[in-house]
Amino acid sequence: MTGPMINDTPTKTKEKRITIDPITRLEGHGKIEIFLNDAGDVENAYLQIPELRGFERFCIGRHVMELPVLTNRLCGVCPAAHHMASTKTLDAVFDAEPTPTAKKLRELFYMGQYTHSHIAHFYALAAPDFVLGPAAPAMKRNVLGVVDAVGVPIGAEVIKHRSYGQKVQEIVGGRATHPVFGLPGGVSKQISEEERAQMEAMAKSCVEFGKFTIKLFHDLVLGNKDYMDIILNKDAYYLETYYMGMVDKNNKSNFYDGDIRVVDQTGKEVIKFRPDEYLDVIAEHVEPWTYMKMPYLKKVGWKGFVDGASSGIYRVGPLGRINVCTGYTTPLAQKEYEVFKKTMKDLGVTGPAHHTMAYHWARVIELQYAAERMLELASDRSITSDDIRGPFKQPKEGVGIVEAPRGTLIHHYASDKDGLCTKINMIVATTNNYAAINTSVKQAAKALIKGGQVSPGLLNKVEMAFRCYDPCNSCGTHSLTGGPALEIVVRRKDGSVLTTQRNF
Amino acid sequence: MAVKTLVLGVGNPILSDDGVGIHVARALKGRRLPGVEIEELPASGLELLDCVLGYDVVIIIDSIKTEGGRPGDFYELEEKDFERTVHGASPHGINIATALALGRRIAPDRMPRKVIFVAVEAADLVNVSERLTPQVEARLPEIADFVENTIKEIVSADQKDP
Repeated sequence: MTGPMINDTPTKTKEKRITIDPITRLEGHGKIEIFLNDAGDVENAYLQIPELRGFERFCIGRHVMELPVLTNRLCGVCPAAHHMASTKTLDAVFDAEPTPTAKKLRELFYMGQYTHSHIAHFYALAAPDFVLGPAAPAMKRNVLGVVDAVGVPIGAEVIKHRSYGQKVQEIVGGRATHPVFGLPGGVSKQISEEERAQMEAMAKSCVEFGKFTIKLFHDLVLGNKDYMDIILNKDAYYLETYYMGMVDKNNKSNFYDGDIRVVDQTGKEVIKFRPDEYLDVIAEHVEPWTYMKMPYLKKVGWKGFVDGASSGIYRVGPLGRINVCTGYTTPLAQKEYEVFKKTMKDLGVTGPAHHTMAYHWARVIELQYAAERMLELASDRSITSDDIRGPFKQPKEGVGIVEAPRGTLIHHYASDKDGLCTKINMIVATTNNYAAINTSVKQAAKALIKGGQVSPGLLNKVEMAFRCYDPCNSCGTHSLTGGPALEIVVRRKDGSVLTTQRNF
Repeated sequence: MAVKTLVLGVGNPILSDDGVGIHVARALKGRRLPGVEIEELPASGLELLDCVLGYDVVIIIDSIKTEGGRPGDFYELEEKDFERTVHGASPHGINIATALALGRRIAPDRMPRKVIFVAVEAADLVNVSERLTPQVEARLPEIADFVENTIKEIVSADQKDP
């Protein structure tokens, strides 16, 4: 194979507005619009994300016990995260403390979700840019191209371990894609010793695959100067924002349970809050050109799409989590975390990593952690106990938070005395990141598009800024034309379309 | 040996016409077709690949939006019709065609020899609702008939030429 295609030749465009439009469907897809000025430089860029309409109305008046299976329909990609957040919200609504066994089973299930989600993102979505190169033609720059380059046996390992993640979810959660097992104070299904042993064997294999993935990331990305130049490009992929993520009582990263920690641009803790305090910390900004709200830190305030200490924009997801924590509770993930910190230190970074592309590295470290934690839990023979449900009380109002693979996910319900839902509010991971994604897209577009010179490779490098965040831009829909993707539209100052690029 | 057939309804059952595949699958379950497995898949991409492995024939029912299409109309499509959309540069997830192409590359022996898509033109893919729009719902029996007949044709062709 020839080396990855890092650059292609830009041609001068006469247009002043560029749109990157996802090809999911003919309508309702996400879209990046880039506006050029008279000199052909980027004046502004926006990311528009479609929202499902009427979900709140759909839920009001239903029994809150239905919400874990309704909210998980919001997404065909991360239903398990919604199911977990919803189940934890019911714990709060019914003032129910889950039993020790139930907590372990929920977390085990959730590590299966992380394993499958992070494998899919790294190999199917991120790897094409790093194996084939950002400027490789779109028809080649995909998961099939990756398999061609790395070989079918590795491709088969990818599929196998992703399926293991699914299988663990299926064993614990009852169903792989849309789980049904979460109840206030517990879970509905006990597992057998045979199932436990089966999960232990799969988890062992996933730990090895995590090691393999970290090595591959080092070989492919960290060992390649061209990619390091892209990753360290401060003009295109670098934002000094606040970060948010869940930690345990020792400030180690945790995906299932804990408090939410926010750090500033230097890594100093700004606040650590319980789920039910989220409204004291987060406010939402509204822009006229999109339905989706943009959360920001209330105390800092909204300053527009800019980074820095005076802008309340924060980032969530793998980069957010790695920046708010002091490490991981499992040995291999902790070891790689130390490599990550040392590499950053050698680059002169002492606080958080502000390099947007570091999302990818954080994600593979998290894959290792999820696999190790899955093995710890699946090796624990006490998880087959029948102690899977605890008592619960009269319903009221409650908040539940988990770390979805793509970031902090907040559910908040209120119930009347009969258990009927009277209020529902959700802030999903991509919403938490929405302001940051917009800022990143604008930054990358400004740095990469100059003097009206555009090319497919350059536009893909703009998309790469967006792809780091693993955004879920159309929760819940997946019609045949689908396979979410993006279209970039470049527009002149008068708004007319100069050029359009779709990755389909 | 009998043809191992799977009917897979794909879609989100609480997103109006996005769930048409699920509605058709449920209608077909009531018809008790011998030797045919019927599944609902409220997901896509790689999950779909997990579902189809090990079958000889798979019929996938899903929604589609084409320019100028009339809601409720449906089309029979094959894998090759999606070649144009095989790509992986999407921000999130991979599409059905890419997933199938990946399966043919990685596990060719376990892939179905035939995959048929029944794509139903949708009117509403945005509003949260458990119901189809009237135009799509009106065509539901006809779509289910079409799938049932397609299976019968495949089985009978197979018996003639096993």
